[in-house]
Amino acid sequence: MSCTIEDELTAYVDGELSAVEAARVRSHLTSCSDCRSTESLLRRTVTQLAALPSFEPSSALRRRVLAQVEGLPRPWPERMRSWLRPSALAPAGVALATAALVAVVMGQRTMSARAERRAELAVAENYELLSDYEVVGLDPADLDVVEHLDQLEKEGRP
Amino acid sequence: MPVDEPRDEDAALMLRVAGGDTAAFASLYDRYHRSVARFAHRFVQDAGKAEELTQDIFVKVYRHAGRYRATARFKTFLFRVATNHCLNEVRRGEYRVTHVVEEGEEGRPVEMPAPEAQSPELAVEGRELEATVAEALQRLSERERVAFTLCRFEGMAYREIAEVLSASEAAVKSLIHRATLSVARAVEAWQAGARAPARSEA
Repeated sequence: MSCTIEDELTAYVDGELSAVEAARVRSHLTSCSDCRSTESLLRRTVTQLAALPSFEPSSALRRRVLAQVEGLPRPWPERMRSWLRPSALAPAGVALATAALVAVVMGQRTMSARAERRAELAVAENYELLSDYEVVGLDPADLDVVEHLDQLEKEGRP
Repeated sequence: MPVDEPRDEDAALMLRVAGGDTAAFASLYDRYHRSVARFAHRFVQDAGKAEELTQDIFVKVYRHAGRYRATARFKTFLFRVATNHCLNEVRRGEYRVTHVVEEGEEGRPVEMPAPEAQSPELAVEGRELEATVAEALQRLSERERVAFTLCRFEGMAYREIAEVLSASEAAVKSLIHRATLSVARAVEAWQAGARAPARSEA
């Protein structure tokens, strides 16, 4: 049957007891040979354990860990901050300006496409006239020229 | 309103890690990877597996850095993550220690080379002591093993270990006493030339 104070012996060896508790254990040890023997065994073991060699991880582990972490998605706060940096905002501004330019150009193209459609309609409407003069291959913008060809020919004569 | 002010340099680094600062993470890794690897090695007794666990633990720390509050010491946070991870993985059976070291058996579980300065006799004795301790650790309860390892090999105070285990200091005192006495009896038996099993009195 061991003493109840035996439960305090490891903490006593580790210096984890209060001054009052440590004094109580010290006093008990003077009169209890079993506890003295246990305390001695614990103290010896703790010293031996402290002298054991330690496991040393390889340097490759560092590379693996850092590579894995670099490959992970960045946390949201960091992503938000990176979006608001000037170095990120400048390209974003350029992208926005480019998008605006593209929209303007596309709009112009749409307008010129409409104009082309109107010219095609004019060609269709005046197909008879154009075929008479065998000028279907002409630019429809030249319809005025075609229409007043007789007059122009007269004027062009010397 | 209380503000989470960093209590130490580690905490300040960890707050930077939470913002995605990998250089701060590398600093914390350099500071603590040996401790974590030693801790993991005590659980699995295998160098490769210990490194796998260490890698998992540090990646977890990085991923969950946002949950860290600077009111807690970083070391406590780190070993809480390490303890949970090691226990979970060992429970899952992936890292179960299957060997039982017998005297004269080849391929001892501990790959730690003895210091070159030691004589061959001392080196052999050191390896045998290490094997005896490893064996004794496997017979401890999970919480005893964690408390013992943090105390004996990482030099953590009972109060810190209590924080890691979310236990009272009195409970930790009891865990460490039972574990240390159990290991001490095993070492005593080995030194006496007998390899009698040393049961935890828990």
